[in-house]
Amino acid sequence: MKVSIGWLRELVKLNTSIEKTISSVDLKTIGVKEVTENFFELDMKGYNRADLLSLRGVAYEVAAITDSEVTFKEPQDSEFSWVKQKLPETPVKVETEENCPLYCIAKIEGLKVGHSSPNWVKKLADSGMRSVNNVADVTNLVMLEYGQPTHAFDAERVKDQTLIVRMADTGEELITLDNKKRILEPTDMVIADPQKSVGLAGVMGGKDSEISDNTTTILLEAAIFNPTTIRRTAGRFNLPSEASKRFQHGLTKVRLLQAVEAAIKMYKNLGGKLTAITIIDHSQEQAKEIEVSHQKLNSLIGVDIKPDFVQSSLEKLHFQVEKVGESWKVTPPYWRQDVEIEADVIEEAARMYGYENIPPKKLTGELPQKIDQGLFEFISKLKQTLVDTGLDEIQTYSFFSTQVLKNFEVPKERLLKVANPMSAETEYLRVRIAPNLVEKVAENLKAFKEVGVFEVGKVYLPMESGPSEKYVLSITLVDETTNPLRKLFSIWQKVSADLGLKVTVEEGEQDAREKVVFHPTRFIKLMVNGQDVGRLGEIHPRIINRFGVEKRVAMLEIALEQL
Amino acid sequence: MENRLKIIYQDYLHKIQQTKDLKSLDEIFLALFGKNGEITLATKEFPKLSKEELKVVAPLLAKVKAELEEAVTKRREEIKEEGYQKLSEEKLDLTPVELPREKGHLHVITTFEEETVGLFQKLGFQRYDAPQIDSDDFNFSLLNIPEDHPARDLWDTLYLDSERFGIEPGKLLLRTHTSNSQVRIMREHQPPFRMMVLGRCFRYENLDARHEHTFEQFEIVYVDKGLSMANLQYLSEHLLKGIFGEEMKVRMTPGYYPFVEPGAGVDGLCIFCKGKGCKVCGGVGWLELAGAGMIHPTVLKNGGIDPKIYSGIAWGFGPFRMLMLKYGINDIRTFLSGNLKELLKYEGESK
Repeated sequence: MKVSIGWLRELVKLNTSIEKTISSVDLKTIGVKEVTENFFELDMKGYNRADLLSLRGVAYEVAAITDSEVTFKEPQDSEFSWVKQKLPETPVKVETEENCPLYCIAKIEGLKVGHSSPNWVKKLADSGMRSVNNVADVTNLVMLEYGQPTHAFDAERVKDQTLIVRMADTGEELITLDNKKRILEPTDMVIADPQKSVGLAGVMGGKDSEISDNTTTILLEAAIFNPTTIRRTAGRFNLPSEASKRFQHGLTKVRLLQAVEAAIKMYKNLGGKLTAITIIDHSQEQAKEIEVSHQKLNSLIGVDIKPDFVQSSLEKLHFQVEKVGESWKVTPPYWRQDVEIEADVIEEAARMYGYENIPPKKLTGELPQKIDQGLFEFISKLKQTLVDTGLDEIQTYSFFSTQVLKNFEVPKERLLKVANPMSAETEYLRVRIAPNLVEKVAENLKAFKEVGVFEVGKVYLPMESGPSEKYVLSITLVDETTNPLRKLFSIWQKVSADLGLKVTVEEGEQDAREKVVFHPTRFIKLMVNGQDVGRLGEIHPRIINRFGVEKRVAMLEIALEQL
Repeated sequence: MENRLKIIYQDYLHKIQQTKDLKSLDEIFLALFGKNGEITLATKEFPKLSKEELKVVAPLLAKVKAELEEAVTKRREEIKEEGYQKLSEEKLDLTPVELPREKGHLHVITTFEEETVGLFQKLGFQRYDAPQIDSDDFNFSLLNIPEDHPARDLWDTLYLDSERFGIEPGKLLLRTHTSNSQVRIMREHQPPFRMMVLGRCFRYENLDARHEHTFEQFEIVYVDKGLSMANLQYLSEHLLKGIFGEEMKVRMTPGYYPFVEPGAGVDGLCIFCKGKGCKVCGGVGWLELAGAGMIHPTVLKNGGIDPKIYSGIAWGFGPFRMLMLKYGINDIRTFLSGNLKELLKYEGESK
């Protein structure tokens, strides 16, 4: 969210400099990503504060943390222009109430499309948006200030000027504002006229009903849509937008009506006139009352915060607070839908107190019961012992690269597959580590004559019962001889002796896969108590040659959990 | 010219087929296509030829060239394959050799992680291992991150092709964080406990100098009676002073992770400008180094722990980023590159 500094100043009479304000936001509210003379950007990625997606919400927050006052007053329901006059309804039908708890269409006539004023253009530009024309700009300005997306349909392009909110039919088509044809599914919500869909609800308007230079009458839409439905559709079409983001974070009826009123006034200033309005309301909003214990608050923050401070802080944030003994009954303002439980309120108190003022406190309490740390201790010792023999540790990806897959002739059906890989390089999970080490040895041989590397890590196996992962050690070695297995075996014997391992070696038959991967004679099995735990051998030169290496390469791979 | 080419062709084709080893084959290749090779020289004479002659000679030369090249390649494969066939004559020979005295090197990640583990072992923390392939439940849902929640935008996820195991698509994934351990730990152990989880995590991320799809995380899961944000501040200072030195300053700022409440970002004073503001810290004087918070009551409940009696701390950071700052490593891909020349620069400094 880019916060226009000029616009913010219209909404808050700041008691402090803008620099101090921004630094308070960073410390008490949310990370600030970028600061320019025109705007500062809040780092909203994944954040749950829907209120900060509106300038009014930001204004309330900034006022609270800088001890300033907001300049605006929220209207009473009786002051809305449609309440003060008797207006007809405009035809609207909501067929999917659960996906659209609140739907409002205001018909505005007598508009003339033109350029926006420089003030509007700057507000939009500061907020990272582009001016389109005065009629469309109103919808974006209202969204930025109130957090409520609105959409203007050209009334002449909507058959019978009748709007229907419904789920799409399978295979239904819609050309969206960006000129792309979208094939819809029954999980997508659309706004339609009696003939066809005219917009993808909450995600993007339709091309057909877009405001044109000749538009004079609009149907202005303000709605609350089910966030999950919007998220699915926006995700499937990869259409994240300023509007869909706000629908997903959650909206309120109070703000929606204020936004509609604001838009009507702005259109009035452009010469338009409200001639009909329909509000279909199935929304159920209830103020939440949350009980907050002072003792719990202090114990969770770890500081003794005075009750008066807690109360005044919450009141600055427009929470209603009622003291009941050693606790409070707290009701958050309607725009703070993110505050739901006691811990949420405690966070509010903590940030007003200042996280940076919380002093460190040593850990007390008894030390917990010991649990088995054997595997980690073993891995740590193993790595050190390997390094002592002259090997270098490297770590490689958990995937098989396309080069490894090809050169090792890996049967892909024996691998776990990623359903949505970034590229073919991350499509298959490794079932062994040695092939990855060979790839890296080949690269390192450009700089070194001898390379001996190891990796301790997980491999991922598709077992009958499901995916399984286990720790293995893998070593790959090239020296200046034509039989590097001698050196590798010496290393292994030393490591085995140093760690007291009970691994025995056994010559054995190669299976079909091993015939491809290994040298026909330089190949042994590693056993523990008669159980097959690994392989030691020279990799078949045919495979090695494919990596552009003419030297001989020895490898060891052994499962760690049985050692 | 035409004749000459025909002779070259027959001559060399015979030689190629008679060759027994790769070295002679390389010599033949040079004699044909090297700087003074027969074919190279023949091409150089083209300008002397008449148009009529060229019409015949040019295509012939192209044909001779292509066929000889192919013959060399084919023969090379044959010789190699003959060599591979002879491998079975080589014996399994495991005669011991003397090992070099010179030691190798641990990966900089290992050295750093052992240091970190050591710092927290002193405070009674023990290691716990959680799977890297996990369910949507442990990675998301049980952590108070329901399906289709906007917070999921924080984690671009790699999913496994799970239908072969009878698991619905999108339910089996590569863990996006070590937090997948939280509810497992709670269900397996009675509080109080002090656990640390370390290991590989994955995100759907295109690679560049600042983005890795495969990376390490370190996380603490700590549940006891009366734990507070003040303890969190202590843990943050304990780690960051341990790594960057006693003069390191640490502060918390509000942060949001669905599985903690209150949530915090952990900042360290910028190690480059010591708080004055520089390019690395974007002028603010502080660097966000870790994320933390008090474990959300819903998550405690999902783990079978009563949030009225116990509170919990979750605290974690990414070792790659910490190391990049500590050693001034500019490219995050260095860690898993396997490039020894690059990696050996950083080993040992922290020992």
